[in-house]
Amino acid sequence: MKCDDFNSLLADNNQSGTLQLPEQAMDHLLACVGCQEFMRAFDLPAGAEIPSTELLRQLERTVTADLLPVRPLAPRRYFFATFVSTFVVIVALGAYCLGAFGIPQMSLAQNVAVLGALGASVCLLAWSIVQQMGPGSRHRLPPAILPVLVIVCLALVMASFFTVEEEANFWTQGLVCLRSGALFGLLAAIPFWFLLRRGAILSPRVGGAATGLLAGLVGTTALEIHCPILELSHILTWHLGVAILGAVVGFFVGFLEPNLVDVTSSLP
Amino acid sequence: MLDENVTPAIAAANTKQMRMEQSHVELDRWMERYQQADPEATSALIGAVSPALLRFFKSQAANREQADDLLQETWMRIHRIRHTYRPGEPVLPWIYAIARRVRIDGYRRIRRITVHESLMDALPEPSPRIEPRDPLPEFETLIAALPEGQREVVTMLKVGGLSLEEVARATSSTVGAVKQKAHRAYERLRKLLQLGSESAPLEEANEM
Repeated sequence: MKCDDFNSLLADNNQSGTLQLPEQAMDHLLACVGCQEFMRAFDLPAGAEIPSTELLRQLERTVTADLLPVRPLAPRRYFFATFVSTFVVIVALGAYCLGAFGIPQMSLAQNVAVLGALGASVCLLAWSIVQQMGPGSRHRLPPAILPVLVIVCLALVMASFFTVEEEANFWTQGLVCLRSGALFGLLAAIPFWFLLRRGAILSPRVGGAATGLLAGLVGTTALEIHCPILELSHILTWHLGVAILGAVVGFFVGFLEPNLVDVTSSLP
Repeated sequence: MLDENVTPAIAAANTKQMRMEQSHVELDRWMERYQQADPEATSALIGAVSPALLRFFKSQAANREQADDLLQETWMRIHRIRHTYRPGEPVLPWIYAIARRVRIDGYRRIRRITVHESLMDALPEPSPRIEPRDPLPEFETLIAALPEGQREVVTMLKVGGLSLEEVARATSSTVGAVKQKAHRAYERLRKLLQLGSESAPLEEANEM
């Protein structure tokens, strides 16, 4: 075993209470002065830097002064179900109000691919937001990367199933789609924001972008169901554009008005 | 077993880890009782977690005064959002995630102030150096040369006693990413220690 392997072992093995080194590592440690010094560097002196008694008392006084019982946050599955059902309800409302002219225009493969990708994206985003609402939650995918990943994957799916064609009224028809999609996105953003306020989003920009994207995907899905135009540039610009717009708006809301998203600095 | 071969450093580390594991369970219970408005558990939690939190802030390039302020701010935020802790889950990642946020906000605030103040500074602060007389540099001095992300991970692992999984939770990251940062940090620290034993300044290591 080399010193580099020893580093890897320490990095892999830092589980609380399991600093049991294998025999090989022990042999190396006993023979290597460098590794002994390295281990010793982490042997922190107990109580070297402790808060003053005064500060601790002050903290105790402040915290216990208005100590009232609180009800812990509801289980994640409830929040997840609420996010997803809100999404479904508003998309259904969109399909009812605008009409479902897009579904019969698309082939079965297109329907399955687009709606499946949208559904999976919504589930991933909703779960990520629910995890972000409780600090210290486990993330399978870093929440800062997820919105970008979702947008890229959706764009790739759409690019694989639709083709670029001539479109006569790109701007006129597109702006109608954008307006309708944004309206339903905005409608979804309101209940999402109320749900978000139940938890504590510690990174308002990331949380804002994810929530904005989820709200935007409501608009995108409603448009996919409604809009009969199957032209790629129209779908990418005006349908997926609603989701991107939502993410950007959410990011800037988190950036400019973090208190709207980050309840840690305002609400009990 | 290799008990007779265990060096004092390893023995100390093992004991410390065992104590940490035991105390983690207690911390979780205190947190649950804190949510139920038990003042004794609240005081116990504050007393148990604050030293490691203070050290966490100090190792993130804050002075003692700033670290005290950040500690207070952290407890205020913990108090405001104590309902977001879910019983049965590890409390340390929850606390460190909040502390981390407080540190980032505090850093931004300090940076805004120092941007204005730096115009008045006549001389820049000298870089920290490993004292040649000291056999080992202080932990904070040693890790000051690490990039912010690695410093944060090493402090949580070694000062806070968090596991890789817990650090990943606290930093909204994945275990793999934490492991990679820890490994890189250890490599760099080892180089620094080697340089330190040759009485070389940390600056050299930064240039590497």
